[in-house]
Amino acid sequence: MTPVLNTDAVSLSPIALFLQADIVVKIVMAGLLLASIWTWAIIIGSWLKFGRIRKSVEKFERDFWKADDIDAFYKVHGESDLPIARVFAAGVTEWRRSTAGGNVDRDGTRERLATAMAAAAAAEVDKLSDKLNVLATVGSVAPFVGLFGTVWGIMRSFTGIAQQQNTSLAVVAPGIAEALFATAIGLFAAIPAVIAYNRLSHSINRIEARLNRFADGFHSTLSRQLELEGRR
Amino acid sequence: MMDRAERTGFGVAVVGHLVMFGLLSLSFLSPPKPQPKQQPIDVSLVEDVALEAAAPEPAEQPAQSRAPVAGPPEDAPPPAAEAVAQPEPAPQPKPAPPEPRPEPAPQPKPVPQPKAAPAPKPAPKAPPKPPQKTAAKPAEAKTPPRPAAKPAPARNAAPAKPAATAASKPGTAKSTGNNPQAAAKPKPRGSRLGANFLQGLSADPSTSTSQKPMAAKMSASAAASIGSAIKRQVQPCADRQVNPGPGASDIVVTLRLRINRDGSLAGRPTIAGAPRGVTDANERYVDAVNRNAINAFVGCAPLRGLPQELYDVPNGWNDFRMTYKLPG
Repeated sequence: MTPVLNTDAVSLSPIALFLQADIVVKIVMAGLLLASIWTWAIIIGSWLKFGRIRKSVEKFERDFWKADDIDAFYKVHGESDLPIARVFAAGVTEWRRSTAGGNVDRDGTRERLATAMAAAAAAEVDKLSDKLNVLATVGSVAPFVGLFGTVWGIMRSFTGIAQQQNTSLAVVAPGIAEALFATAIGLFAAIPAVIAYNRLSHSINRIEARLNRFADGFHSTLSRQLELEGRR
Repeated sequence: MMDRAERTGFGVAVVGHLVMFGLLSLSFLSPPKPQPKQQPIDVSLVEDVALEAAAPEPAEQPAQSRAPVAGPPEDAPPPAAEAVAQPEPAPQPKPAPPEPRPEPAPQPKPVPQPKAAPAPKPAPKAPPKPPQKTAAKPAEAKTPPRPAAKPAPARNAAPAKPAATAASKPGTAKSTGNNPQAAAKPKPRGSRLGANFLQGLSADPSTSTSQKPMAAKMSASAAASIGSAIKRQVQPCADRQVNPGPGASDIVVTLRLRINRDGSLAGRPTIAGAPRGVTDANERYVDAVNRNAINAFVGCAPLRGLPQELYDVPNGWNDFRMTYKLPG
């Protein structure tokens, strides 16, 4: 097998199929190809990011529960842009604001703490899942777009039959092949997008659950601290 | 903006797509090419009737044609050949001998006559010329007898010689030409055709007595060429026939074609005999293949360029059978 660029009609090489296609089919193919590239960029980027976040969150939690002085810990980690650090920072900030005055409403402070940390967690999850909607869109729409290209290409092939008045397969086959190539690219973009969407949604859910657990734990710590300070 | 992970992901995705499509385009991953590019639809037309025995016909050597032998042959040919050859040449030798004889006889006689004739002829010519010159010369009147005498012999001699030679030469040429022949070949035998008439033929006398005329006859090669001519003309129509389904290409249908002399079909082709290659799987396609076969021949109906001389000979193409088969 020699590595020669095949552009003849019988070739199944993607470039040859693309070059022979109708302009509409070409646009569909190009769009789907861009969608595929974008999908994979999101998949790989998210995969790297989520893996790093998971590791650093675990480390942060370990360090947090080991730390004795929350204020000292906040000084070190308060400015970090880790999601869990943001939640932690939101809790500490709310705690400091609520306990700044002399008279402390404990119930109100608990409520505000919970709300602030939940809001921070939700904001972080929103930020993480920002790109997932692209995967969802590509996964659901790309097959249809590819199908559109295929239908268009096959229509064109049949027009060719009508013009040439020749029903031989050789007349129809190239057009149908390039038309089906549009569906192939659509599926090629959609399948990884759907798989990655489910997988990344699962990862985000786990991160969200982890943030919420941490927020709950930190909230209980702060709540306990509030009670201790109230008794004094 | 994109952070580091997203940039990495974007770069990896672009490079990965480029690599993958590059590999596909360079046909590393493409399926192996189908070896021979076969025609999308092909029809095999096999003629099974009108073929003669495949063994070569025993070649009967035709009798060598020779010009009639004039005169009794000197060297006796092999008796077998002579006995055969005699009946034909027998009547002709008799008229032949008289011909050569009269020729030599009259010709020698005229020869002496022209020789005698030239002498008198210059004489009449000579007199008119001297008078002309003497008429011019009397003005001088010095030497009348000599000029008159001189030109006369000179002028006389000059015309006389060419005339004599011209007259005598043809005569002598003819006589010398004919006489030696007559002398050397007193009994002319062999043909009057050139000596190179039989050039290239073997010197051996033919042993064959076949007098059969070379009539047009359907031979295996003629049938094959007619079959391929029909196939070539029918192919475009056969290409238009649609394969009705898997296994249909195994069916071999025999068609009977009755063709007019101008190549048009004398009626619709009929199916001759049961089709071959029918199995349970493709049984239901037999009708479709029959229709295909008939349509293929009807569609390209006037068949042209078939040899006229083989139209109505035995097994000629007025009634031809061909087998039809879809490709597969």
